[in-house]
Amino acid sequence: MQRRSMDYVDGRLRKSEHSRIEAHLAECQDCSRRVHEIHDVRATLHGLRPVKAPAELRLRLQISASRERKALIETNGSRFLRIWNYWAFRLDELMRPITIPATGGLFSSIVLFGALAFTIGTTTRGVTYEVPVMYAERGDANLVPVELRSSVVLTLSVDSNGRIIDYAVRDKAGSFSGDATRLQYNNISVPEIPNALRLAMPTSSDIRISFTPIIFRP
Amino acid sequence: MTQPTAGNKGLSILAGAQSGVSEEDARILRGLRAGIEDAYEELIERYEQSVYGIVYRLLGNQSDACDVAQEVFLKVFRGVSAFREQSSLRTWIYRIAVNEAHNHRRWFARHCRREVSLEDDRPEHPNSLEFAQDPGRSPFEQVLNSENRTLIERALTRINPVFSTAVVLRDIQNLSYEEIAEILQVSLGTVKSRILRGREALRRELTQRPDQGFAEALA
Repeated sequence: MQRRSMDYVDGRLRKSEHSRIEAHLAECQDCSRRVHEIHDVRATLHGLRPVKAPAELRLRLQISASRERKALIETNGSRFLRIWNYWAFRLDELMRPITIPATGGLFSSIVLFGALAFTIGTTTRGVTYEVPVMYAERGDANLVPVELRSSVVLTLSVDSNGRIIDYAVRDKAGSFSGDATRLQYNNISVPEIPNALRLAMPTSSDIRISFTPIIFRP
Repeated sequence: MTQPTAGNKGLSILAGAQSGVSEEDARILRGLRAGIEDAYEELIERYEQSVYGIVYRLLGNQSDACDVAQEVFLKVFRGVSAFREQSSLRTWIYRIAVNEAHNHRRWFARHCRREVSLEDDRPEHPNSLEFAQDPGRSPFEQVLNSENRTLIERALTRINPVFSTAVVLRDIQNLSYEEIAEILQVSLGTVKSRILRGREALRRELTQRPDQGFAEALA
């Protein structure tokens, strides 16, 4: 009955059916009321004013149409190209906010590294300035009390057993005779060679040290 | 018109409905696929109001209707190359509109349930204009009709969207049952059932609110 009543309200029934329904509605108050209400609802729906789209919608649609048309022409209808362009655009938009700080950071790194690069080389070259020179520990040897600033001549007297019985040292400043009885060990050691930088004046890139041999005369 | 039976249900979907595109639709489609500007303009001109009308009646909100209508046209522009022309252009566009409105409604219900708009997005109801346009009715009847229209518009957004869609397409857009079946991709019987239940739901919605006055008007 409900389906029939709907077709009745819509006017889609054949004449015979229509008459049958009308006869039923005349007898049945519930059905009649229901159909009447449905009819009013339908009539009200029909009477609803057509809604007018706002003016901004036309503008938005035209902008969208223009954009889509441009994309269609550029990609020549290729779906792959369209997807590619879409993601390339998205990636570009994503990277754009960090492009300037990233470029600034890279530039700063280059400048800082360039400034520090010179100091790295200088420190390394500084290490090679030290001249490796052996010296005797003071506690282990008998040292003559001279500094190796100029030619030093050491004269030793040794007996047949090779023991030092007498010695004298002479340099430019003066000379002194040593007391062989006070020697702890049977050797004479030259005092430590002072720091090479105290002996020589470094030039721009080279350091020159002069050595004068100590002559031992038997 | 034959009533659908178990045997010819499939046929009834197409009976009376426009199968394929017309000459005019074909011309517009060719223009869209070729990127001709006039074709885009013509499509917007022809379908803007009807698409907006359907979407507005389903969502009940002007700003949402604008957004969804724009989405609909965007999908039409992008999908035109894949459109196989098995239905008419209008049917295809309306199908997209109905689906987009439903998707938006579902998304809104999920994410913005608690939000309440402070603006009244409904178009204004110039009672004075309707008053002037309907001189055959008494002032009381015109005011009553205006109130009823407001009530029914609100009721449309409250009932099940499946039923309200069918009712909107039939009783507001005046589409045939066959065309509605094609748009919704259901059988003719299902369309009738949904329209019936939609009208019933509206009637119940309106008559069960005695303070609104509709029940009195129907009595």
